[in-house]
Amino acid sequence: MKVVTGVIGNDIHVVANRLMDLSLNARGYEVFNLGVNTYLEEFFDAAVETGADILLISSLNGEAEGWSREVKMLKAGYQSLDNLIMMIGGNLSVGSGNAEDIIPRYKNYGFDLVCHQVDLNTGLDMLDSYLQEHRPS
Amino acid sequence: MSQLQEERDIILGNENVDSFDFDEVREFVRGADKNLFISHHFDKADKMLVQPRGGFPTYEKQFALYEFFVEANVDVLPLTIDSNTRLNDYATAKKMLRLSEANEVDMLNGYPLVNHGYRSTRKMMTHFNHPVSLRHGTPDARLLIEIAIASGIFEIEGGPITYLLPYSKNFPLDKAFLYWKYVERVCADYSTLNLPINRESFGPLTATLVPPSITIVIQLLEMLLSLEEGVKSFSVSFSQQGSMTQDIVTGKVTRALAEHYAKQINCEDAKIHLVYHQWMGAFPTNRDSADQLINMSTVIASMVGADKIITKTREEAVGIPTKEANAQTVANTQYTLRILSGLPAIVDEQEEAILTAEVHAIMEAVFNDPADTLWRKVFNSIKNGIIDVPFSPHIINHNKMITIRDSHKNIRIIERGNVPIPDHCFAYEKSCCDLNKDTTSIVNDIIHDIGIMQ
Repeated sequence: MKVVTGVIGNDIHVVANRLMDLSLNARGYEVFNLGVNTYLEEFFDAAVETGADILLISSLNGEAEGWSREVKMLKAGYQSLDNLIMMIGGNLSVGSGNAEDIIPRYKNYGFDLVCHQVDLNTGLDMLDSYLQEHRPS
Repeated sequence: MSQLQEERDIILGNENVDSFDFDEVREFVRGADKNLFISHHFDKADKMLVQPRGGFPTYEKQFALYEFFVEANVDVLPLTIDSNTRLNDYATAKKMLRLSEANEVDMLNGYPLVNHGYRSTRKMMTHFNHPVSLRHGTPDARLLIEIAIASGIFEIEGGPITYLLPYSKNFPLDKAFLYWKYVERVCADYSTLNLPINRESFGPLTATLVPPSITIVIQLLEMLLSLEEGVKSFSVSFSQQGSMTQDIVTGKVTRALAEHYAKQINCEDAKIHLVYHQWMGAFPTNRDSADQLINMSTVIASMVGADKIITKTREEAVGIPTKEANAQTVANTQYTLRILSGLPAIVDEQEEAILTAEVHAIMEAVFNDPADTLWRKVFNSIKNGIIDVPFSPHIINHNKMITIRDSHKNIRIIERGNVPIPDHCFAYEKSCCDLNKDTTSIVNDIIHDIGIMQ
């Protein structure tokens, strides 16, 4: 399974990004890490270039929502991304928000998996079980 | 006209500069009071110099901050620059300065020095007559340091590696080397007029599990890049790492090797100083715990024998500190330094030998790069991973080195990537750690190891 990952927008928080890279590799994924400060177009371009199965976006500074509003519109411009599994995790709102409000909003923006303030390994377990359910091999 | 002077004319022709008078500035530096030079204080002080951090947008607030610091018996004043100026966006800095002045709300996270200009800023610096250290984070600091020196700020922090790899994803590293070469040359030129301008490297880097070998190599390389341009006073630095022994060993090896490598390029006449940063990682939100951590840092700095300590505040975890909290740390740190005495001399010969061998091996690999100049050798070495900084966001960084803490909180290398850590050192580093864990446990350990002070 190929995963494109990175931190969205003008967000330079790099620590979790590096740890995700390590953890995904350890779980057997082929990782294409675009690092911090990455824009949606760059994520989609990389997904096309690498033929990725999964796009895993993260955010710490809470500004992901502003960018996420454009996911559907931008993704529609790519022909080969219809089967791309979309996942987002981190701090998904500025200030305190609760998961019950946040998760449906992000699903509406076009994400299949949404992890708000969920720890790294729990989030990746969610991804593993999602894949087992939706991609029986 | 020299090529450097031509470049300076272009840089100072910037529309945000109000007629830079080269001759007047040279006269000012030539006649400047010795107390403005930190190099003078390093020479005569018989104690560690204490320097806080701090910068406010308006002249009045910066002035008020300095009054608090002087009241708290500060040794070195800071001038921290706002983020727009750091990115050379002087127009935005100007707008935000006007808004800050009109509304008494701080719209900038530091002092926009270029917009204030050197004529007014110099009035503040000469009024307090203390040495001032310029703290910024600017890859292209050419204009900023011209205005700083003209203002009477005679210590310039930063460097092409230490102000780029921790802060930027995309800024071209080769350009940063050339922009900093300008900084070194201007500092060297002014240093011939009076006491030397001090340059200081930023050793904390990402402040996230950076092993001492990488920190020291980068300190030494920035020192050499500076000395080879004629700088005569330089500070190498590092931040508290989490283990007192590792800090003491790091300080000792840094001093010894700085002297060794300066001598190799026939710059033994340059004065080299050691600076210690209080804990730069994630701080406890509890203010009393933060005070305890700060006090412990001061004790370790004394054990290290640093020439200067740069302080944090009890409000570190909360945001930009108030001037009251900032001045309180200065007073507390001075108190701890005054009462500390009879410190034991701690020596760990095995750790010193391992660390020294690691640094020599990496330095040798850098020097063996076939490029024709030192900055190109360093550039290539970063590009091909001979130098690898854990948790740097920059695209050029290799990210193959992995570090964790051993049971004494020493930072150890468990994956060396392309960094030429000698085999016997690597075997020693790994022997200190429990490596029979799966990656998930190691990742959890790393998360824990980053947050040890919280």
